[in-house]
Amino acid sequence: MNARRAGTLLAPDRVRLYLSLVPYLAERGQVSVAEAAADFDVTEATMRTMVQKLTVIGLPGEDGYWQLDQDLFNINWDLLEHEDVIELTNTVALRRAPRLTAREAAALLSGLRLAQAVPGVDDDGTVTALIAKLAHGASGAPADVIVAPAAADEVRRVVAAALKQHRAVSFTYRVPDAAPTIRTVDPVKVHVANGQWYLQGWCHLRRAMRTFNLERVSDASVTERPNLHGADEVPELFAMSEAAPVVTVEVATELAPALGDYLSAAGSVDAGGTTTARLRLGDPRSVKRLATRFGGELTVLAPAESRAAAVEWAAAALAQYG
Amino acid sequence: MAERIPPEERLTNLVVALMATEIGIAKQQILESVSGYRQRVEAGAGADALEKMFERDKDDLRALGIPIETLGDHADPNDLREARYRIPQTEYDLPAEITFSPAELAVLTLAASAWRDGSMSQDARTGLRKIRSLGIEVDEPIIGFAPRLDLTPPAFAVLQAAIEAARGVAFSYVKPGESVPSEREVWPLALIDVENRWHLYAIDVAQQQERTFLLSRIVGAVRTLKATFDPALRQGAGERGLAGLQAVLERNVAHLEVHPGSEAAMRLAARMRPAQQGFDVGYLDAAIFADELASYGPEVRVVSPAALRDAVIDRLRATLTLHGETVPAAEDHQ
Repeated sequence: MNARRAGTLLAPDRVRLYLSLVPYLAERGQVSVAEAAADFDVTEATMRTMVQKLTVIGLPGEDGYWQLDQDLFNINWDLLEHEDVIELTNTVALRRAPRLTAREAAALLSGLRLAQAVPGVDDDGTVTALIAKLAHGASGAPADVIVAPAAADEVRRVVAAALKQHRAVSFTYRVPDAAPTIRTVDPVKVHVANGQWYLQGWCHLRRAMRTFNLERVSDASVTERPNLHGADEVPELFAMSEAAPVVTVEVATELAPALGDYLSAAGSVDAGGTTTARLRLGDPRSVKRLATRFGGELTVLAPAESRAAAVEWAAAALAQYG
Repeated sequence: MAERIPPEERLTNLVVALMATEIGIAKQQILESVSGYRQRVEAGAGADALEKMFERDKDDLRALGIPIETLGDHADPNDLREARYRIPQTEYDLPAEITFSPAELAVLTLAASAWRDGSMSQDARTGLRKIRSLGIEVDEPIIGFAPRLDLTPPAFAVLQAAIEAARGVAFSYVKPGESVPSEREVWPLALIDVENRWHLYAIDVAQQQERTFLLSRIVGAVRTLKATFDPALRQGAGERGLAGLQAVLERNVAHLEVHPGSEAAMRLAARMRPAQQGFDVGYLDAAIFADELASYGPEVRVVSPAALRDAVIDRLRATLTLHGETVPAAEDHQ
């Protein structure tokens, strides 16, 4: 998200940037190049160049005369050169931020719908008020992009409270085909992706960073223990350890995207409309669930135990229907 | 050789010039005085090329949402030879009465981070930047949460643009339970994410009725049509569409037996309502729900409806066949 973009902005992108940069600088008074670059998601070099170039922008000259100094934006050059700080010393226009475009408003609105589910975010009707303001502040009607609200959930509230209070959280964790375990975790980050909530944190039992699906969590409570790992780095959400066993499956290439996050962590080869994918799964037998989900569109090739698990799984399910 | 003025400087100069005028500026005056054009005129660039450049620049700026007004001849408003151009301050500025509290800004910052990549992510961040340039103090950020929206369906961006422009679209659509797509022509009204799938809420032009389409069932490209529809139809469409989908969930109910403590019980927990001897679960799309139920294997038995049960059995049998197993003969399920 905060990966700084390379200096390859297109001209309209740069215009868009100038139109927000001028009111930002006018409001801030003095701001360091580093801070402005971070706020505008560009490199410091790009920010410095853009600010320098701003000084040749301004009102047209009268009757073909060259523009006079007061017609152009100007900056405090000494401050920029010696302290790497930006200050506008003459502003000829653009003092107020432009309206949001319909697109910008729509992108923020749908993000809001999702953020609404985060405990504490919508306590005072904040989201409802923001939705009205964004629609009013847009230059065109934004498309209605709606994310259905998720039900409130006790586990999520407990995890949010633990994060906020900088304390460890403790809970029962269930994974398929194994006995439940009691975990104490120093929470670092909660991801909400594809409707699933994941907690990443330092697990006291495993003495390592682990990812937990909150659907598998029950009996959650905030503990008295301080969170000692709250600022630690966490791995990519679906990064699978290189040590995890590899299961090879075959699926029609047009269906391969449905493998989603399994596929992103795998190597895959497409040939003649068929994709052979090497999936990394913590338990190689768990591919049985994928096999029946794809109902005859996905073949488990190897290892033999995975293939056998898929067959047993389907047969046991079918046996229920006599 | 004229000094080369980069296009972003020319474009920004044009915005400044058009905002500084109340009565508008004529094209000729713009070309002769605004820096970026002026140098080209002085270097002897052809009138045609310059006018084309000006037209493109106007299009680029309008695409950024900048309201460029064209004031025609009083006698003949369609005669653009004497047209004057301006940007009205009141339509350009973020309205002064809109203010944001530090807490609201913290929530907006979280919302803007939700889009993972691509143009929606960029739009969200640019929008946030405009609001932040109002100079609001930010509350302590909402830490530890990373909500994420993914936009896999390629149709999404085209449909969103069509909704904004109030223009009709056409596409091929595979209905649940059918394998051959049919052609649809609709007026798109809203995009709705329910149960992690994007739906299009629209009016079917032929039937003049509101319909909901699953984006993943659209085959091939969505084509934007020339014909426009009444933008007022979009009013409240998102909420109407969402209510419609929730009504479908109420209506399409499967009766299931679920093994307690299993993966299936956990995954279905939020959707299950206890019923006599088992649970009721609402679903939107039978084929997609059958995929999910098949993945649970022996953890779930579908009692009703029969079509859903048969769809799950089909998937289980196909899994066995594909892996070279003999499948028990089909029996009559009563």
